[in-house]
Amino acid sequence: MKRPILTISAIAAAAGLALTGCSGAGSAQQDEDGPVTLSVSVWNYDQTPEFKALFDAFEAEHPDITIEPVDILADDYSDKVTTMLAGGDKTDVLTMKNVTDYARYANRGQLVDVGDVVDDIGADKLAGIEPFALDDTYYAAPYRQDFWLLYYNKAIFDAAGIEHPDNLTWDEYADIAAKLTSGDGDSKVYGTYNHYWRSVVQSIAAAQTGGDLISGDYGFMQDQYDLTLDLQDKGYALDYGTAKTQQISYRTMFETGKAAMMPMGTWYIAGIAQSIETGATDVDWGVAQMPQLESGEETVTFGSPTAFAVNKNSTHQAAAKTFLEFAASEAGAKAIAAIGVVPAYQSDDVTAAFTALPTDDLSVKAFQEPKDVVLEMPVSEYSSDVSSILDEEHDLIMVGESDVDDAITKMQDRVKNDVLVD
Amino acid sequence: MAIAAPPQRTRSSSRVRRNALVGWSFILPNFIGFALLTLIPMCAAFVIAFMKWDSYSPPEWVGFANFARMMRDESFWIALGNTAYYAAGHIPLTILASLGLALLLNRKLRGLGFFRTAMFFPYITSLVAVAVVWNMLFNPTAGPINQFLELIGVADPPGWTTSSAWAMPAVIITSVWRDMGYYMVLYLAGLQAIPQEYYEAAEVDGANAWQRFWNITIPSLRPTTFFVLIMVTIASFKVFDLIVVMTGGGPGRSTLVLSQLIYREGITENRFGYSSAISLVLFVIVLVFTVVQFKLQQRKER
Amino acid sequence: MSTSATTRASSTVPSQAEVAIAEVTDAITPPVLPGAGGKRTRVRRHGPISPLRRVLIYVMLTVLTAIIFVPFFWMVSSSLKQNNEVFSIPVQWIPTEFVWQNYVDIWTRIPMLTYLKNSLFLSVTITILQVLTGSFAAYGFSKMHFKGRDVLFVAYIATIAVPWQAYMIPQYIMMQNAGLVNTHLSIILLQAFGAFGVFLMRQYYLTIPDELSEAARIDGLNEYAIWWRIILPLTKPALASLALLTFVSTWNDYMGPFIYLTSNDLWTVQLGLRSFVGQYDAEYALIMAGSVVSVIPIVLIFLLGQRYFIQGIATSGMKG
Repeated sequence: MKRPILTISAIAAAAGLALTGCSGAGSAQQDEDGPVTLSVSVWNYDQTPEFKALFDAFEAEHPDITIEPVDILADDYSDKVTTMLAGGDKTDVLTMKNVTDYARYANRGQLVDVGDVVDDIGADKLAGIEPFALDDTYYAAPYRQDFWLLYYNKAIFDAAGIEHPDNLTWDEYADIAAKLTSGDGDSKVYGTYNHYWRSVVQSIAAAQTGGDLISGDYGFMQDQYDLTLDLQDKGYALDYGTAKTQQISYRTMFETGKAAMMPMGTWYIAGIAQSIETGATDVDWGVAQMPQLESGEETVTFGSPTAFAVNKNSTHQAAAKTFLEFAASEAGAKAIAAIGVVPAYQSDDVTAAFTALPTDDLSVKAFQEPKDVVLEMPVSEYSSDVSSILDEEHDLIMVGESDVDDAITKMQDRVKNDVLVD
Repeated sequence: MAIAAPPQRTRSSSRVRRNALVGWSFILPNFIGFALLTLIPMCAAFVIAFMKWDSYSPPEWVGFANFARMMRDESFWIALGNTAYYAAGHIPLTILASLGLALLLNRKLRGLGFFRTAMFFPYITSLVAVAVVWNMLFNPTAGPINQFLELIGVADPPGWTTSSAWAMPAVIITSVWRDMGYYMVLYLAGLQAIPQEYYEAAEVDGANAWQRFWNITIPSLRPTTFFVLIMVTIASFKVFDLIVVMTGGGPGRSTLVLSQLIYREGITENRFGYSSAISLVLFVIVLVFTVVQFKLQQRKER
Repeated sequence: MSTSATTRASSTVPSQAEVAIAEVTDAITPPVLPGAGGKRTRVRRHGPISPLRRVLIYVMLTVLTAIIFVPFFWMVSSSLKQNNEVFSIPVQWIPTEFVWQNYVDIWTRIPMLTYLKNSLFLSVTITILQVLTGSFAAYGFSKMHFKGRDVLFVAYIATIAVPWQAYMIPQYIMMQNAGLVNTHLSIILLQAFGAFGVFLMRQYYLTIPDELSEAARIDGLNEYAIWWRIILPLTKPALASLALLTFVSTWNDYMGPFIYLTSNDLWTVQLGLRSFVGQYDAEYALIMAGSVVSVIPIVLIFLLGQRYFIQGIATSGMKG
């Protein structure tokens, strides 16, 4: 019958077709002289002002290069970029949303070596550059570095007569949270709000105890979990179950005055400034250092950088590198600092340009003082898998279904047996 | 009454061939589009199930390694169990609900048009809204469902989406609520094909409502029910959007389903070979179901 | 055999086929109803409903509808709040202040009109194509008999079972090589040919007695004419259902347009709404406002089109 032949040829054609697109050979690098259009992948272009600020500033300095943003929805950004690259896409500059994505693309050889760009700027000036090091060179340049701070509501503190939270330890943090919780039902104000991301517990524990989230040994998380669960059980923080299932927005909790304190990343500075500007809130806010294990030591917190990289398939690699250099250098840093985004490049001028920060001493100190910023999740080929497992067990701990030690044991077993063996 | 086929003539081979040609000509426009755009990538995906591929580097042949991995993978078995659990709950409840609604609304009563539209609303409401509101309703401490349960004397009401044991029932309830309007539309169309005269004659004969329902409605609806059953089964095994938005697969992995695993292994972890292998397994499961249903249907038609 | 049947035009003089069909329909009343044959007048359903029963039905439906509407109510309520009030603790069912500005903002913050036009264009085109090719193919699967028909059908249906995530990448690569990425044509091609429409129509065709098409064949009509003139008009409810469901699916589709449409001016409403979901947070009030606006066309279509679901009965439309 004709059918088997049909089927076989269909399959062969299918396989052939499916695989023609993925040669991924590093293609032509020629740059023409004269005006160049650079395509840059971004997310939610209209709603994310940092891109526009960067592009405008860059085009002003380099009138012969026009930037064409490739707008991708933030929600599924990584998935789309993966798909595009699978099809041999030629977008010149790719924004690396997080270090895990970067690791994936860099390890597969999809990015251009930009070590020269980093050297020109000076690696020591770029906060958060270390995770991008691969094989003695760099394949992306960070333009932005976010880290975690403690946001607090000055009005609530003042009303309760409590000193603003300067250099707290975790015990002090728990005490204050207890004191600042008031009311119940509709008018309840929580002492603090811990968002439901696992990083809120796991990454800070890893950073401050020196634990490694990829290692498969997670005993270091015990204390932080105990603390967080205790806050929730006693009603000083909103319970995880409600927060997660109803997708509570951390912005809502803080801006409507429902939480006196909130650990969160520096990206929120621009957000809260915008809310105040549009009149959506009038919260009297400030930032302080993340609570530490012990007092009197250097502040340790966690964070993650955002970077630009050059696509191996790009036909304007020289121009792309020019853009990378601009974005990661002082010029680019000043452009985004002006709208409240924390750049990777550090200098006094840049800090001066960062006007979104409240001007009180504590906020300035918390923001500027030298600190140890540990990467939110270590870079490794296992990051993504480990992250899924950690997410799942975090869920079970926080809804109260697993004891902390049982869950930690399970995490260790799963990571060691399912992931690290591969 | 000899109206059916031309009398007593064996079908010549040319007639058979002509029939086949004409038959194929009907099918071809749809089939070609489908074959080119969907069937070929699907076959490619099934071939990839025997390879290791990250969507960028050249693929390498690994034979049955992906399937061996599947056997060892705890997440796969959990997802398979959850998917079966979801299907077992979702399929009968949705069919009953949508049939019930269709019967209720299959009248020429004034204003029923509004109600029919209302039943369809859950399906067109934004999925985010659906997930959030149902999560609110299911909130173990503050939600109205548990408050009602406590009112009627249930001592320890379930944790719903915050508990591993009760998350899946919560999802099933939500999805039945959402889908019943969709399949109601299909049943309404099916009910139109039943000639009114059948019912009238039965009434004349003295059959009561239940007998009319059982002896006329149900048998006449068989083609529609077959269709709805297959579609609900397939949709249940493929469920993705609602789970992702409502529970994300959690708490833990208690609502993790196969489509989610396929997506995660493929698009997120870039293990396309493995994710294609899981898709192949899913396909085979549903294929078996479909064939069984088809055979049962054919037997009834005889 | 007369040739008059091939020139059927007006409905005043029933052709031989029509007469034959009417006779056939008379003859196929199931055995459970002896003596029913021939009664053809269009009678009201089930006789007059008692007032009590009517009230009962309305009450039941109203309660059911109220329950069903809760999420939609929340959606509308959220659309009138500030973004940072949508997910508040505790839940606010009525906004404290009505932010009507949201409904203005969704038109200005994103090119909503363009998105609506794109969604409309795609939905209408795909619906028409699906309905046409689907019902055409369904005829082949139900009224024509040839070898391998059923095997092909089962395989066809089973392919619906494969989740799109599984073959999304190979499909994308193929479309990329064909240069179709970032065009509306890619979405149309991907969605217009599917097994769903074929399946739905085939099942409906099965309820139409074979004898009708046989009689038409005797009259000399070729298969295409039978499909167009006889079968298709009889299947209006199924066609209406298929059209509605296809329209809704296409209108609400997110992943397809997300992967294939890069240029902002090609985006659909669903993409436009998601653009309010940022990297770390989302503007939910605006998303809900957009969702409410996006639901309206579907509601309109349903309200207007539903009489086709309930309309006329298959066989009684035949004579006169």
